[in-house]
This record gives sequence, C-alpha cells and structure tokens, in this order.
Amino acid sequence: MNNVCEEQVFSTIFKANSKTVFNYIYYKFGNEEKSHDAVQEAFVKLWENCAKVTPEKAKSYLYTVANNLYLNVIKAEKVRLKYAEPTYKHSNESPEFLLEEKEYKEKLDKALNDLPENQRITFLLNRIDGKKYAEIAEMEGVSIKAIEKRMHLALKTLREQIDGI
Amino acid sequence: MQENYLAKWLNGELSGEELTEFKKSDAYASYQKLKDVSAKLKAPEFDVDQAFEQLKEERIGNAPKVIALNPFKKFLRIAAVIAVLLTGSYFYVSTLDKSVTAQLAEHSEVILPDNSEIILNAGSKISFSEKNWNEKRNVTLNGEAFFKVAKGKRFTVSTDQGTVAVLGTQFNVENRDGFFEVTCYEGLVSVTYNNAETKLPAGTSFLVINGKIMNTARPDALQPSWVNNESSFDRIPLEYVFAELERQYNIEVNSQNVDKSLLFTGTFSNTDLNMALKSISTPSHINYKLEGDNVLFYAEKAPQ
Repeated sequence: MNNVCEEQVFSTIFKANSKTVFNYIYYKFGNEEKSHDAVQEAFVKLWENCAKVTPEKAKSYLYTVANNLYLNVIKAEKVRLKYAEPTYKHSNESPEFLLEEKEYKEKLDKALNDLPENQRITFLLNRIDGKKYAEIAEMEGVSIKAIEKRMHLALKTLREQIDGI
Repeated sequence: MQENYLAKWLNGELSGEELTEFKKSDAYASYQKLKDVSAKLKAPEFDVDQAFEQLKEERIGNAPKVIALNPFKKFLRIAAVIAVLLTGSYFYVSTLDKSVTAQLAEHSEVILPDNSEIILNAGSKISFSEKNWNEKRNVTLNGEAFFKVAKGKRFTVSTDQGTVAVLGTQFNVENRDGFFEVTCYEGLVSVTYNNAETKLPAGTSFLVINGKIMNTARPDALQPSWVNNESSFDRIPLEYVFAELERQYNIEVNSQNVDKSLLFTGTFSNTDLNMALKSISTPSHINYKLEGDNVLFYAEKAPQ
C-alpha cells in the first residue's frame, strides 16, 4: 500500500498538494496558466517515477520538478491577489476609512510584487496557505533558519515600502 | 531583540519580554496591520478535482491502462489461436470420410444421411463423406454389403474391381479377393467392370471370379441369404466358400488334398459351425476336423 503507484496513494498526494504547487508557482511567476501546467507536469513526472519515489519524498519531489520546469524560461509577471470579503459587521464604515483601506491594499500589492521572489514565496505561503516555516523550508530545500530570515526581510521590506520609509 | 524577530513574532514565538518591547516600538502598529491585512489575501482559484480529472484523462490515463490491458491482450491472442485451431480442425474432421467396419463374425448396419441402409457382412468396411453426401452419394466398399438405397440422385458403390451405380433400389455387392459379385433384388443396377457397363434388372447377378465373368443363376430371394445368417453359393469354387466360412466364424480354414476349384452349390449356417461344416463337407465328399479355431478339410482318403 505504501507505493505512489497505487492509485489511492497517488490520488491522496494529489489532493493534498496540488493546490499548494499551483500557488507556489503562481507566487513565483504570477502566471496562472503556467501554474496549472506546472501542476500537471509535476504530477505526471511523479506518476512516471512512482516506483522510485516514496510517498514521504513525493512532496519535495513535486516542488523540485515544478521549480525546474520554468528555469530561465518565463518572465515573471505581476502577482495579482484578491482579498477575502471583510467579515466584520460594521459595513457603515466612513468613506475615508474605505478609501484608506483601498490605498493600503494597492500599496501592499505593489510592495509584494517588488519583493525578491524567494521572500514573496515564503511570505505568501505562510500568510495564504498557512504553511509553517518548516514546511516551506522543505519545499524550497533550505533550512528553517533561512526561511525565517526571508520572512523577517519580507516583513521589514513590506512595511518600509508601505509606510514610505 | 533576537535575530529574525519579525518572523518569530509572526509565528507567535517571541517571549513575553520581547513581545512587550516590540509592542512599544513605533513600527509595531504597521506590522500588526500588515499581519491582519495579509491574512485576508487569497490566491487565484484552483479546482483540485478538475485538475485531477484533467491529469487522469489527458496525461496519465494511457500509461496504467496499457499495463492493465496487457494480460487481456495475451488472453485474446491465445483465444484467437484456439479459435483458429478449433475451426480448422472442425473443417478438417468434417471433410474426413466416415467409415464403418464389420469385424469378422459380425454384421454391421449403417444408416446413411439420406436414410439409405447398408448392412455389412463379416469382415467388411465402407467409407463415405458425410459432408458431401447430398452432392455425391458415393460409398467405397471393401468386402460384402447389402444396400437398400433411398430414391434420389445417382448412388454409386466404388470398389477396387468395379463400380456399381443405381438410382434407388436394393442390391448386394461382394468385393473380395478375386471375387466380385453384384446381385440386384429390386429396380435396376448398373455395373461397370473393366470399363464395360452391364445393366442388371431385378433378380439377376453379375459375377466375376479371378477376372472371368461367370454366368450365374437367378437369385430367387428378396435379399441375400447372409442377411438371414446363411451363406448361399451357386456353383462357386470351394476356395471362396472356405474364405466365407473363415469370415463368418472368425476361424482359420485349411485343406489337404482337396481340389479347391471344385464348384459348390449349397448353403451353410452362419450361426452353427458344426452344421455349417457338415453342409460343406457332405456334398463335396470331403472330411473335416475341428480343433479350437482351426478347421482342416481333407479328402476321403484321409492323410495321416
């Protein structure tokens, strides 16, 4: 049963990881189409090599394949992210407040796009996908400390950009 | 403040002391806002199920299926070979001639596909093609048989000595070593012997002994006597009478000082050997001795 070639195992791995592989490539290049392709390519490769890759290694295998796929091939585009609808009730916010919010988001968008690729990936994987530093470290194939460094720098840079320091 | 304290703070790993210190800093409010707003960020839509379907259909759908199909293909191959062999052997077997044999001292009855009847006398064999029967009614005979042929197309009996052709009638053909006799009991029979055709109306016989066509008496019965377990002879050399005796009883007949070309006219029983031996020896003025399966005929002046 502990074999990626088993359809059950493969399907479980796909359901658990495909969305993150997609996001990962999207945070990197800002291209949705390429992100979809990356998911397909990465999992096809995994299936073709299912006998050689253990289920434990499958995750980092996927990110390695997805990463290598677009080395030097595509130009990064702007990453466009949406925001979850505000859940707080007081929708009778003042126009000034709403405008301020809008301006803040625009600043954040720009700041995110200006971030170095690896800082943006780390920041967004944590903030959007809720990935722990250890998980991100595994995906990127670096130490947890390196991820903490990226995160620290990402926060610092974003704040400076937004606050106009 | 420790290294990468912003990352630690975001992950809730700062100690109480550090957190208090951080909260006092000017930048804290900005970081808090960044933390709150970024928590509401959303990535583009991604449909996991749809992506999985696409993967299965377009990309990996073929690979595992090919493997799964392999044993079935192998099975199909074997099945095809078996089917070809079965069909082939069916056609081969069905074109083979069917043959029926009557062993020594027994009779056999054969019903042909058109309900014609053949009764085989002892030590006789016929063969015919069941499949082509409707196209060609032909029987190959070795030995002696009585035919009751159903009306229809030309019916032929092939022997190594001559061919007998009829349309529908009852007749007897005896084809033994050096002895060929056809007797017609009903209708009309045509006998081809040495490329000469002879028509036999009911109640006549055609007899060839050692290549010589003989005159025969008209049979008065409706069917050959052997069908009723008697062997009848009308001026037939003793040699052939002995041969018939051997076949009817599955015995070995020898003779000493007996002229086997003497003509014999008479009948012997096919069921009672002692009676049969008397029937042959008395009119021929010879004696016999029976020992097990051996019979010796000898002249009156008995040898030692």
